[in-house]
Amino acid sequence: MQHAGPPLESLTRRLLDTPPEFLAEPKIGSRGVVHVDALLGDVTTMLGERAPAGELRRFADPDGGARNRLALAQLAAWVCADAWFRGAGIAPVRLIRAIDAAATALSSHAPAASFLADGDRREELVRTLLAALDHRPADESIEQAQDRLANVSSSQRQIAVSAARGMAERARKIREALARKAAEESADKMWRE
Amino acid sequence: MTDPDPTDADRHPTLSEAGQRMLDYLAQHRHAPVFRNKSGSRLTAHDLARLRVFEAGVAEAGCVGQRGGEPPWLADFVARCYADVPHYRARGVAPSGFEAIPTTRRADLAHDITAFVPDSVALDRLINFRTSGVTGHPLLIPSHPLVAASYLAFHRLALRRYGIELTAGRNDVGVVLLGYQRQCFTYVSVIPAMDEAGYVKLNLHPDDWRSPEDRAQYLDALRPEILSGDPISFSALLALSMTWKPRALVSTSMTLLPALRNELETRFSCPVLDVYSMTEAGPIGVYDACAGGHVLLQQQLLVEILDPAGKRVRLGERGEITLTGGFNFCLPLLRYRTGDYASLQTRSNETVLCGLSGRAPVRFRTTDGAWINNNDVTHALRALPLWQYRLHQHADGQLQFEYAVDRNMDIEVTRILHGIFGADRMLDVRQTNFGNIKVVPYTSDAVSNNGI
Repeated sequence: MQHAGPPLESLTRRLLDTPPEFLAEPKIGSRGVVHVDALLGDVTTMLGERAPAGELRRFADPDGGARNRLALAQLAAWVCADAWFRGAGIAPVRLIRAIDAAATALSSHAPAASFLADGDRREELVRTLLAALDHRPADESIEQAQDRLANVSSSQRQIAVSAARGMAERARKIREALARKAAEESADKMWRE
Repeated sequence: MTDPDPTDADRHPTLSEAGQRMLDYLAQHRHAPVFRNKSGSRLTAHDLARLRVFEAGVAEAGCVGQRGGEPPWLADFVARCYADVPHYRARGVAPSGFEAIPTTRRADLAHDITAFVPDSVALDRLINFRTSGVTGHPLLIPSHPLVAASYLAFHRLALRRYGIELTAGRNDVGVVLLGYQRQCFTYVSVIPAMDEAGYVKLNLHPDDWRSPEDRAQYLDALRPEILSGDPISFSALLALSMTWKPRALVSTSMTLLPALRNELETRFSCPVLDVYSMTEAGPIGVYDACAGGHVLLQQQLLVEILDPAGKRVRLGERGEITLTGGFNFCLPLLRYRTGDYASLQTRSNETVLCGLSGRAPVRFRTTDGAWINNNDVTHALRALPLWQYRLHQHADGQLQFEYAVDRNMDIEVTRILHGIFGADRMLDVRQTNFGNIKVVPYTSDAVSNNGI
């Protein structure tokens, strides 16, 4: 969050006005219509330089489990198509990776549609995206931006509590699995370490 | 929770009659040691098919040249870590620049290893490896039979550098792994990827044998293609009358000093490979004098050299070896600081770790004048949940033991150390906070008589 970015409200407002072509179903196999890799390529081209094909590959031919991540990437792409980003001097590779990181992080929290319909989540998406770009909203200090990102994320407290319960259960199962006799017997490795 | 004992069918899912005969031969030989444990490859036919593909990929890639910049697999790997691994996911959004990603340390793994196992990993075939504790308290490293079997691909790659193609197959013994400890996990097995060639993990300590002479006779009878071990077990091997000449010795786990390497090469008339390897990441590099250091072995393991502040140093400068990637899908490493130090050089399109320093074998003297090694101490302390510790023996034999953990364990530590060193050994035990520094766990001013 080292760099000052655009005003928060301009981006949350923009998100609310996301046009239908950015809301259509992502193309996965024979379903959906939006080729998300091409969409992201077009956005970076519009901002000044097309992202390399290798960077876009994570958005092409994904499996079905990637749907929510792709839908969030579409929303993030629309945010990044804002006029402010044209003069920001952010390299296309960095932009694509930030979109990917934000979409990946948020995709396990809630459906993409909720980041459009809910005011707190709109703010969460925008703040998460800016943080991934190492930026913060205009007129905020680094500390303020960090606190507000934490706060808006904690508005999903119920999700967090539920996730924490799930993580604790998973950790317990891992500990049990590692302590099983079969796990202790291990398997042939042939080298000492 | 029921926890049934594994069966031989669990240990050797694809075992043939020839494989069973090999197991019987290895275990029932008249000169065989006491085998204290059981284990196996646990590989299914499906695993073996995947393993063949992996091995072909490693062979094709050859030794590694990091050509500057970020490798093509890195961005995807980072994204998966931040999405799928609880420890990394808890950090929030991944920074857009790789070098801005925080480093991780051994202490992070020690604190909660479960947070490093990806959510996508099924737990039904999880196995564990314990670190030797040479660079700190033993860790329990989550792994998988396929990961363990994948070591062989790097084993072959390292040997190929010395002109050796493994040829052992059915009815041969492929590898004997030598230990020298008071207590050691020992067993017999077969290697499915080598047509069920035999594999033995044994302990050269005399306590494991009916007669000390059996050690050389057993090894001579087995005629293993490769012997692997560490400088301590190879030192013990030198004292035996074994006449068999293996095609190579592979030394891992500890620093192999040049004098010992020369002695081994002369005695056994074969190359002695010094492999830099760690339980957290597997084989990282093999020493090649012509290259001036350890040549990197893993294509999908990014090696960085960092300064104390976590910044990458310039090529050729010395710093801490830091790892990202690896083939253990149960423990993806993201900027993992190893605690070992070297510089990175590029030589003939290969990347080389130069001046590697980390672990050296350490021996301690007990009150009855016997010598034990650091692995014996590690083994004895394994039941205690110590985060870090440091044992030093003064020239007069006195011991000083410092440890870090969240409660005082002076009594337990003292009981264990008196048990292995003798109750009348002067011992100073204290709880301490090492802070964020690298702890060298074993040091000694006592002069070893090399009595193994």
